[in-house]
Amino acid sequence: MTEKTTSGSAKSYDRTRRRLRTRRILLYVVAVLAALYSFWPIMTTALEGYNIDLAAIFSGRAFRLVGGLRYNGGIYPSAIYYLQSLGVEAYPRLVVDTLIVAALSISIALLVGIPVAYVLARIDVRGKTLVSYLLLALRTVSQYVVIIPLYIAYSELGIYDSFTGIALAEQVLILSVVVWMLRGFFADIPRDVYEAATVFGKREWEVFRRVIFPMVVPGVVVTTMFALVLLWNDFIIADALTGAATRTVAVGVWEGLAINQLSFSAVAWDTLNAAGTLAYIPAAVVMLLIKRYLAKGFSLGLAR
Amino acid sequence: MESRRWYLVFIPLFAVLGFVVVYPLIASLYISLTTVSGSFSLSNYAAMVSTPTFWNALNISLLYSLSSTIIAVAIGLGLTYILTQELRGRGFFEMVYILPLAVAPIVVGTVWAPSGFWDDVQTFSHFQLHLPYFNELSPLFYFPTMFLSEAWEWEPLIMLVAISIINGTAKEIYEAAELHGATAFQKFRMVTLPSVLRSPVMQVIVVLRFIDAMRAFEIPLAWSNWLGYTTTLGSPVDTISLYIYKLLFSSPLGFSVGVASAVALTLFAITLVGALILLRILKAVGD
Repeated sequence: MTEKTTSGSAKSYDRTRRRLRTRRILLYVVAVLAALYSFWPIMTTALEGYNIDLAAIFSGRAFRLVGGLRYNGGIYPSAIYYLQSLGVEAYPRLVVDTLIVAALSISIALLVGIPVAYVLARIDVRGKTLVSYLLLALRTVSQYVVIIPLYIAYSELGIYDSFTGIALAEQVLILSVVVWMLRGFFADIPRDVYEAATVFGKREWEVFRRVIFPMVVPGVVVTTMFALVLLWNDFIIADALTGAATRTVAVGVWEGLAINQLSFSAVAWDTLNAAGTLAYIPAAVVMLLIKRYLAKGFSLGLAR
Repeated sequence: MESRRWYLVFIPLFAVLGFVVVYPLIASLYISLTTVSGSFSLSNYAAMVSTPTFWNALNISLLYSLSSTIIAVAIGLGLTYILTQELRGRGFFEMVYILPLAVAPIVVGTVWAPSGFWDDVQTFSHFQLHLPYFNELSPLFYFPTMFLSEAWEWEPLIMLVAISIINGTAKEIYEAAELHGATAFQKFRMVTLPSVLRSPVMQVIVVLRFIDAMRAFEIPLAWSNWLGYTTTLGSPVDTISLYIYKLLFSSPLGFSVGVASAVALTLFAITLVGALILLRILKAVGD
């Protein structure tokens, strides 16, 4: 009798174990499939930039042709398109221009934003909520509401296609994000620190400059990197307000394709893919560096 | 006493906002409400409302933002489920799942183009699975693909926010669920999902996602290129932002800047109202 129950429970234990193992395997399969789904399109693009078309392999006919004939745009790796997009599309120029735009607009956003973020987080002044909501509303403004008048104004002022003009216009994109993100970093500093600093009789400005600001420098760095990715990837504002002298990476990648199409030059596709990959890599590196703070950045500083 | 001086920090803020938001808003209103000669008229709005292509663009935008937001939330939560299980190499999987977030939207349009990713799928399904080719120019293909690619880029964000919310949820709740013999999936469905969906942070994220998708421009621009509608005003893939762009830069109808401004302001109004309604709904669902 006792023996029977033991063996019975052993059997059910076995069954549970087997079920758990199947579940684990299933979990890994799903995890890998999800990884493929996330990564495959990026990888294909990077490879097409080398003129490696995975489709040729899937057709089951490519391997015979490796190193041999050029198979219909197929498997004949070549770095020419990367070199082309580095040279012909003047990729380094695009990067430098983007970095100038970013440096200018992030400087403006930080200069304006740091004091505001500090006040919003820590100082009791009336109208604080109103300012927060205004900044939130800024996040919902349709870009073209801004672009059309600024385009006209810039043309009249003679600052169309100038770094100052674009850096100002990009505030639509980054200012609210910068202020809200920094507000979160200021709010993360324990109240005790503020109190301890004020007890020593320092003036509010001194407290900010000597005690609080140094503590929030890492937050400023993260915010800067976050804004940099936003600017690097921005197309809509940059496309409308930059010209030949100030074109940014995202715009340049796309224009490269458009120009190639207009001149009917042979394969713009590979160059577009190569240029897209070159544009992607720095953004991905920066994003992974600040991975821990991405939720915070995109949720206007609300998430931890 | 000193606190009044803190108001000074708002002066540069208002100066910048005045230049890049208030001035453009007023100027847009002025442009949209006047004729070329400068007299007041509603003709731009009348022209906008009486054009079927505008309504088409509005419908597409609504469909686009609703579908892509729903897909992004669904897949994002799915990824969250995977990453909250006991999983070796969690850090690696998380890193891979985040990768699409860094792709510039204009490149997303390229990455998911018919001759990009779908070329692989097409050949694989044809030669290995012996399925017939599917038609990449059919709306049944390109609409879902556009929605999916928009969601593909942003679902990592939903995932990251969900994980940060879960990390903030009291561990005791999970321990209690475990004591009651809840399976991993039950824990996810009964503890994680409610706490994630009810969190105000997630609600804000979803609303922002909806607004951003409502203004989507780059992915539809790329697709309007792939489908041969580069300069066609009122093509099936025109979202409102793309519609404005085409009005401004390649309008065959000779529309004025006034109409473009009218459409842009309408879009702004819709996103504001949409955001308010969505917040209400989310609150109601969450309570």
